[in-house]
Amino acid sequence: MDIVVLLNEFGATYLGLDGNLTLTLLLTRMGGGLIVTFQIFIITLIGSLPLGVLIALGRMSKVKPLAWLMRLYISFMRGTPLMLQLMAIYYIPYYVFGIKLNLLNIGPMDIVGLHVEIGWVMTACCIGFILNYAAYFAEIYRGGIQSIARGQYEAAEVLGYSNAQTFMKIVLPQVIKRILPAMGNEVITLVKDTSLAFVLALAEMFTVVKQIVASEVTMIPFILAALFYWLFTIFAEFVLGRIEKKLSYYHD
Amino acid sequence: MSDSNILLDLQHARKSFGDNEVLKDISVTVERGEVLAIIGPSGGGKSTLLRCCTLLEKLDGGSLSFGDCVVATDNGSGSVYGGSSVLREARTHFGLVFQNFNLFPHYTVLKNLVDAPVTVQKVPKDKAIAKAYQLLEKMGLEGKQDMVPCELSGGQQQRVAIARALMLDPAVLFFDEPTSALDPELTKGVLKVIRNLAEEHMTMVIVTHEMKFARDVADHVIFMDGGVIVEQGLAVDVIDNPQHERTRAFLLSEE
Repeated sequence: MDIVVLLNEFGATYLGLDGNLTLTLLLTRMGGGLIVTFQIFIITLIGSLPLGVLIALGRMSKVKPLAWLMRLYISFMRGTPLMLQLMAIYYIPYYVFGIKLNLLNIGPMDIVGLHVEIGWVMTACCIGFILNYAAYFAEIYRGGIQSIARGQYEAAEVLGYSNAQTFMKIVLPQVIKRILPAMGNEVITLVKDTSLAFVLALAEMFTVVKQIVASEVTMIPFILAALFYWLFTIFAEFVLGRIEKKLSYYHD
Repeated sequence: MSDSNILLDLQHARKSFGDNEVLKDISVTVERGEVLAIIGPSGGGKSTLLRCCTLLEKLDGGSLSFGDCVVATDNGSGSVYGGSSVLREARTHFGLVFQNFNLFPHYTVLKNLVDAPVTVQKVPKDKAIAKAYQLLEKMGLEGKQDMVPCELSGGQQQRVAIARALMLDPAVLFFDEPTSALDPELTKGVLKVIRNLAEEHMTMVIVTHEMKFARDVADHVIFMDGGVIVEQGLAVDVIDNPQHERTRAFLLSEE
């Protein structure tokens, strides 16, 4: 029997889905949302992981004004709702600079192998997530960097490594191993935080699901969404576990 | 003897941490092939002296040079250090072996040895690797190249650390209490390696609590206490026949 027919049969019999909304149609629409969710997730990580390092270094800088500025930044990003930050970033170009928001739409682009139209909504959303998550990552990095013994720096210094070489070759690899559990927490939170993009009506999975629930009067999409997010985090846990295992060849 | 044989020249070194004056007018010279042992009670300034010589701490006053490389001069009101290129050059003159080894835990033994020469001195990788294998053999660490430090005993780790320092061909090799973190059992192997280096006329400055070892291996001994050199001279003289009351008391307490 055809898989589509089978699925729809299942949906009709056990989930009460029939008529306009068959199970396959629901899954297709949610799948489209899931792709956007995944894009936000990946773009946020690509942007915020390195940005967090810079913020952490600034926060620990001997240049006091820079250190204070980074402290203020971290405090603000962690101290105000991400939802509010997303909306603020979305509206800033218009209310502060008087730029019409539709002018900020970027044309079609290939992101992680997918052809997508990038509107300002998506861009603003990713900027918001990157800026916010970088603040959290920065504090985790800082904890990790400060946990590296002085002797490691001294050994590198005596051997003639430059400061940049010491950081990239000696310190950072050890920091990554130490902070992995804490980073795992944030990464898994990020999977679910992507749903906050609904405030910008960005068509990620949660936004799509909310629309379907409202229009089709059924709870089923919520249940499926919970399942999707859970599977996504299980996947993230799996990847993190692999990295942790890969770094377990030594301890100190 | 010509000046070119003086590899380390520290004159009138002063160093304070806050109100605590740790080095009070210390002068030390080390000649090529000489082994100098620095002994004395904890807090006497030995480690600070070593850290100043290895540029991990900066002198408040006094001058420091390695051979022709003038690191710091004293302009009358304090030490004036050369620029970063001078400091970089100075670091090529010496190596340091730490009390706690300070190996890079995420690198294999081989990478611990090879990485600095390749990264810092731009030595071709195959050359560095060949040299690393030689040194590992010399340290009695054949076959350990692919292990990571945590898989080795403390004594083996310290011997890797010595090999790591030797990879860069230092003119002077400093040791900061190299066996203090080791069991007596493991201490032997490390001391044996240092002894072999002394027989090859490696120039070394060793801060140590191993009096017997200092007497056997060192040419000269400096006894430091309270930030000053209380007594110095030939190793056998200072350790077997100390002139100063404080030296005598210290040596008795160490037995």
